[in-house]
Amino acid sequence: MPDPVTHDLRVIVAGGGELGLRTAELLSDRGHDVVVVETDPDRIPDVADKYIATVIEGDASRPEILRQAQPERSDVVAALTDDEATNFAICLAAQRMSDARTVMRINGTPDELYEEFVDGLVFPERLGARAATNEIANGGVRTIEDIGGNVEIVEVEVAESAPVAGKRLDEVRLPQGSLIIVDYQGNRIGGPDTVLEAGHRYVLGVESDVADEVMNLFRG
Amino acid sequence: MWYMCSHATPDQSAWRPNEGPPVSHSGGREPAVSLGLLDATMVGIGAMIGAGIFVLTGLAVDISGPAAIIAFALNGGVTTFTALSYAELAAAIPRNGGGYAYVREVFSAPVAFVMGWTRWFTYMIAGSLYALGFASNFVEFGHIYGYALPGPPVLYALGAVVTLVALNALSTEASGRGETAITLLKIAILGVFVAFGLTAADAGEFDPLFTEGPLSVLPAMGLTFIAFQGYDLIATVTEEVENPQVNIPRAILLSVAVTVVVYLLVVFVAIGTLGADGLAGAGETAIAQAAEGFMPTFPILGTGAALIAFGAVFSTVSALNAVVIGSSRVAFAMGRERQLPARLGRFHHRYGTPLVAILASAVVMLVAVLVVPIRIVGNLASLFSLLGFIIVNYALIRLRRRQPNLQRPFEVPLYPVTPVLGIVCNVLLGLFIDWFTWALAIGWLVVGGGVYLLLSRRGDVGPVGPPEIQEPEPIESTEGAND
Repeated sequence: MPDPVTHDLRVIVAGGGELGLRTAELLSDRGHDVVVVETDPDRIPDVADKYIATVIEGDASRPEILRQAQPERSDVVAALTDDEATNFAICLAAQRMSDARTVMRINGTPDELYEEFVDGLVFPERLGARAATNEIANGGVRTIEDIGGNVEIVEVEVAESAPVAGKRLDEVRLPQGSLIIVDYQGNRIGGPDTVLEAGHRYVLGVESDVADEVMNLFRG
Repeated sequence: MWYMCSHATPDQSAWRPNEGPPVSHSGGREPAVSLGLLDATMVGIGAMIGAGIFVLTGLAVDISGPAAIIAFALNGGVTTFTALSYAELAAAIPRNGGGYAYVREVFSAPVAFVMGWTRWFTYMIAGSLYALGFASNFVEFGHIYGYALPGPPVLYALGAVVTLVALNALSTEASGRGETAITLLKIAILGVFVAFGLTAADAGEFDPLFTEGPLSVLPAMGLTFIAFQGYDLIATVTEEVENPQVNIPRAILLSVAVTVVVYLLVVFVAIGTLGADGLAGAGETAIAQAAEGFMPTFPILGTGAALIAFGAVFSTVSALNAVVIGSSRVAFAMGRERQLPARLGRFHHRYGTPLVAILASAVVMLVAVLVVPIRIVGNLASLFSLLGFIIVNYALIRLRRRQPNLQRPFEVPLYPVTPVLGIVCNVLLGLFIDWFTWALAIGWLVVGGGVYLLLSRRGDVGPVGPPEIQEPEPIESTEGAND
């Protein structure tokens, strides 16, 4: 990839729905050039009125339409329609036409072989679920990043009555599959001498099957 | 003439046609004051009614006699064709950066380079035109108040360029405050001129109309064409315009219409009062000298001629400021697209301005001020804008054919007649510009070709690979998406 500081991307966003439009907006804010391809004539004015992207009306999975968006001179093609099969078709067509990176939106558990065909996967429902969980169970634990696989990066506040409160890390036995990444001040990687103070926050990497054990230790 | 770009946001966003939050600035984008239709229109009018009308009217009358008014009218028509194309492109392609950005979207890298290269030169050469126009009107202004200013006028021209370049290089503040007010003041000064002049003007001065022969209108059109450009600047402030898809096309067309009316009235009065011979003899200060004949004396301001001379000085300075910004903006955009050295596309870490782009533009402007006579400068500026406009009209046609499903909130009426007429008229005008100007223009293009090849070899400009899909019509791959 070119130097990101001096190079603006040209991005094709297939699908001008809520996700596509917001993505286009964020990209445009960062100075990238965006082309949105949208099928629904009723949706077009909403996209066009934002004046953030050139808009092509049509079904991006049809090569004749996708070609008009000029994938061969784009850096990325993002297929963000709500139909997974359509997105897959768009990505494959785009790869045939160009060297652009492809990003594909999926709606369910990803097919394991997707990664052999596309460069990036977006699973909005899963991201949404994390956000919803953060909001619902907002006491002391917050998912920071979903890195795609089984591991979650969470920020946890040590409760007063928690088993680990006030203990040094080498006195505590964290379950296999969990790791303290950063201590509460955010300036040290967790080590044996890290003290788990009550009321402070720590960033942890946690495998999902031991998450409940970790929460028990930290939250009491 | 790109004019006072940051109108509503006099911050660094003035210099960011195309990219994200400032790197060296904490605040990111400042909330933009939104521009309504009036403000957007004023951006265009302000850029057009700059120095051209003050500086070039006398020279045009010298070429074609009273028929110079025909030249202005026809130029208005020719400009309208291209303005329509700009309106369609600006509404469909939300990209700051005007003509260069659209052409970059539609054509392969070399064509986009030619467009950028000619636009860049247009602004620089227009800058030297305005600097020279400023100098002679400034000397005239001093003369009216009885001061004989020392030294040759060219010194004042150089001084004006250096001052405005320094202001724009060191701070983004100079790039614009209260532009609508400035433009209204310019129009008001010309309005006073017209109001008094219409009573004094004698339509008999227009008989016979074609003292130099009907064909002399064409070179006069070529010369004064530069006075009609600047509406494209509206397309560079798109982010701040309310309801841009509707207002930008309207503002472009409205600003051209108002400007044409103002010009025709001013030229009518100037010829009708001073007469063709008098105007031709007055050269760059013709309008001010015409005003001397009929304007009353105002309290404080002094004579009418002083008011007009002030208007001319004021307009030339603001137009010069606009092209200093405009030229460096094009160089900056080309630097960002890697069509010129990447250094041109960077901000200076301390001043927050595209310092290298401004200085590069300034050097060419200063050289042009020093070595090129004013009439050649006017012709060169016009020729280069003609070339750029031919490309823009062609871009419109090509985009219609290649991307039929592109959303076009504004569509050129009578397509394809309008853009084709735009191309034909621009070519025709270009043919009547003298060979010496063409030689200079071709020289600049050859220099550009050399720069382009040099950069391609160094890998700054992406290679042009063959397009992968050939049917039904190939689209040139430009940068190579993999660079």
